[in-house]
Amino acid sequence: MHRALLAGLLTAALLGARVAMANASAFDLTGASALVPSSMPDLLEPITYTGRTGWDCVAERAAADNGWRGAGLPDRR
Amino acid sequence: MLRRIASALIAIFAVASTLARAQTYTPSPVPRTTNVPELHAQAVSRQIRERFTIGLGAEARGDWPQAIAEFERIVAFAPPEPQGSTARYDLSIAYANVGRNDDAAAQLRAAIALDPGFLAAMANLIAIDARRGDLTEARAVAARFTALAPESARALYSQGIVALQAGDASAAQAAFSHLIVRNPSYAVAHYDLGLAEVRLGSLADAEREFGTALSLAPTYARARLALGTVLLHEGRRAEARAAFDRAASDANGDSTLRNVALAMRDAIAAR
Repeated sequence: MHRALLAGLLTAALLGARVAMANASAFDLTGASALVPSSMPDLLEPITYTGRTGWDCVAERAAADNGWRGAGLPDRR
Repeated sequence: MLRRIASALIAIFAVASTLARAQTYTPSPVPRTTNVPELHAQAVSRQIRERFTIGLGAEARGDWPQAIAEFERIVAFAPPEPQGSTARYDLSIAYANVGRNDDAAAQLRAAIALDPGFLAAMANLIAIDARRGDLTEARAVAARFTALAPESARALYSQGIVALQAGDASAAQAAFSHLIVRNPSYAVAHYDLGLAEVRLGSLADAEREFGTALSLAPTYARARLALGTVLLHEGRRAEARAAFDRAASDANGDSTLRNVALAMRDAIAAR
């Protein structure tokens, strides 16, 4: 008996939640879990003995690059 | 006639001699000494160079414990620049890969203190601070990074992401707007600018940015989901439902995103 009551309450709660989600006026956009920022970029590569001022330091060039591809930024995820 | 030929030959010979002199390799003298401190310094220098080679090789094959051992030894020697800041930078990468993010951040701070213009170290410190949840330091470093390299795509992107994570939508809007000026075809920047606009309550601007992201990358499921959310908020239920449906089908391999999109779609249908 208690089990049936619990199941009924749970079902009612779930239905209520679904209706609330569908109700646009009650939908909190700023808190919506769907709207998450993109990921941080991966760490830049190691640097050799010659340091970041070496003639071909990939990591330092990527850090200064104006373009997203050269900078190693994430593609759409 | 013979005079002219002789003059021409002399001129050619002079030019050839000059070129040959310019190309002559003059080896620098090998340092030779019997002075004990100097010999010790040379041995340390050689050891630092060799440990760099071994440590970088270890990082390349993902042997982080070996890389940590090599770079910790180099750091213990307190080498001059640029090896001091570089060893700390490389050590931080190894630490980060074994989850020692606090130690990684400490090494990057030390690297930047030794070399205040070290952009790659700043970029990595922001990313590691975001992992550690230290958004205060991440934002301070991002501000310094963009001050030193105002057009750097990584500086602007990192600044925008940490601003969004910290709840500062205005700063995020400024960073992503600036990034888009030089990168108008970067779909991710349009998506994140759209998020900033949503948080600022500018739904028309958000819709435009999500739409731009989708025109650049039509299967960008996260942007489609965000667009659906805005459409739903505007009461455009049929369009929102179609957007959630498409987001679910485009969410290849991202089960969380797919489940959220399906739940949103079904929630509209159920009403």
